[in-house]
Amino acid sequence: MPTLVRKTLNDYRRALVGWTVGVSAFFLLYLSIYGSIAENPDFYEKAATAKYPGALKDLMGGLADMTSGPGYLQVIAYQLFGPLLLIMCAAVLGNRAIAGPEESGTLELTLTLPIGRRRLVVERFAALALGLLGIAVVTFVLIAGMAAVQDMNVPIGHIVAAHTGLFLLVLFFATLALAVGAASGSKALTLSVTGAYAVAGYVVETLGKSVDAISWLRWVSPFHYFLDGRPIYTGWPVGDYLVLLGASAVLLLVAVLAFDRRDVGV
Amino acid sequence: MTAVVRTEGLTKFYGRRRGLENLDLEIQPGEVFGYLGPNGAGKTTTIRLLLDVIRPTSGRAEILGLDPRDSRVRARIGYLPGELALEGREKARAYLEFMAGVRGGLRRGRIEELAERLEADLSVRMGELSKGNKQKIGLIQAFMHDPELLILDEPTSGLDPLVQQEFLAMVREVKRDGRSVLMSSHVLAEVEHVSDRVGIVRSGRLVAVEDVGALRERAIRKVEFHFDGPIPREAFENLPGVRDLVVEGAALRCTIDGRPDALIKAAAQFTVVHMVSAEPDLEEIFLAYYSDEEARHAHAGA
Repeated sequence: MPTLVRKTLNDYRRALVGWTVGVSAFFLLYLSIYGSIAENPDFYEKAATAKYPGALKDLMGGLADMTSGPGYLQVIAYQLFGPLLLIMCAAVLGNRAIAGPEESGTLELTLTLPIGRRRLVVERFAALALGLLGIAVVTFVLIAGMAAVQDMNVPIGHIVAAHTGLFLLVLFFATLALAVGAASGSKALTLSVTGAYAVAGYVVETLGKSVDAISWLRWVSPFHYFLDGRPIYTGWPVGDYLVLLGASAVLLLVAVLAFDRRDVGV
Repeated sequence: MTAVVRTEGLTKFYGRRRGLENLDLEIQPGEVFGYLGPNGAGKTTTIRLLLDVIRPTSGRAEILGLDPRDSRVRARIGYLPGELALEGREKARAYLEFMAGVRGGLRRGRIEELAERLEADLSVRMGELSKGNKQKIGLIQAFMHDPELLILDEPTSGLDPLVQQEFLAMVREVKRDGRSVLMSSHVLAEVEHVSDRVGIVRSGRLVAVEDVGALRERAIRKVEFHFDGPIPREAFENLPGVRDLVVEGAALRCTIDGRPDALIKAAAQFTVVHMVSAEPDLEEIFLAYYSDEEARHAHAGA
């Protein structure tokens, strides 16, 4: 493994462990109550509908069949909470790739190592992607295990598809944070751009289904390419995933080119 | 021989603010160059341009014969930033080993050797290091790979006097090996004992480059002689370089400008009981440079 990738992963280690434990605990807690929901589907269906009226229900992805195995997995892991938690993690780590060390001043010495600027960004990205992949693998094993233990009736292939999509979505936002940080060197800007795009993207994708005025905006929402294909029900939306992957590639290119041409730490 | 650092018209503006303007500088192999100026004069700007942390507005720089943008050249440079930031839970040793790994070619035990010389504790987490100890870690990483060129921005800040002496000894060793050093400071006293030449930068402009030896030779110094009996004033009048001559009985006071040779030979005719010669104050010469420059600017502005 290239030295800077290893070093960056090492710097991320505590954060990665923390987020993995936190997100896993969340999934474990909520997935473990699936048994009681499956036993009283009518009660929970009504409760959920009462708790989230109208547009709120749309924001939660419709909650159409949250008492079925796939429906419950979708609501807990793949609709809002899973992406929300992991995108927060991605933004935090992405911010620590360039903008964080630049603001604290530690990037200066790294820059004066015999590593080119472009390689620096690419190796930071590789570490970021590997770290997020680690979280994705651990949470996948947990979710697949819980689904099997509790007879949730979701084909393992669909869980793989949905989880891959989740990873690609999270990777997109991590790369966005990396790119904004690489171009601006500002932590605050990186977090606000990433956060705003994530929130707006989610709202547009979920509410856009029933609000015609904003429905065209769904095309620029990264969530569209994860949620719209309903992978937990139908398996791989390959084309959509390629769009996410392609968008991340473009952002990485932007990050590399932007960082290569600017002054650092001024 | 190719210069280790060569700049031509190197200029950096931060927006409309001048960081550095039209710097022409050459540093030769084996030379220790002291780069002096008040805070904010452009020292750090110059250094960061040489390391490609920032890019020039115009002009060019060459370092070890290569473009600063060529990342390979940086393996041959040791750099200590002026505002050294080290943080996190990582132990100092692990960080140094990481840097050594990227640069490559480090002698075994080299890090420990330098840590011992500077009395640095490598087992401390970087975020918990004091200012002085951070500076030591910074010095270790700059010196450890025996680079051909050391670029040190305010290297002695935060170091206690004993460690400063050790640091100066390390600089002399680098010089003895025929390697080069560019070190900045805002006080001359820190660099004058190891530097061959000093450059003075002020408000983004290099105002003077002087040979330290020549400066010292040219420096005005106060001298006092005490003899075993009264001496005739005539014996010391009109000696080259002797000014402000005062003879009072058996005592003589004057200032000499340049070499003290003639004065010493004249004094040798009598019996010298006691002699006082103050160390030439180079700081004063530099302050003179500064104020000349200031006067010139003020004049030009009027």
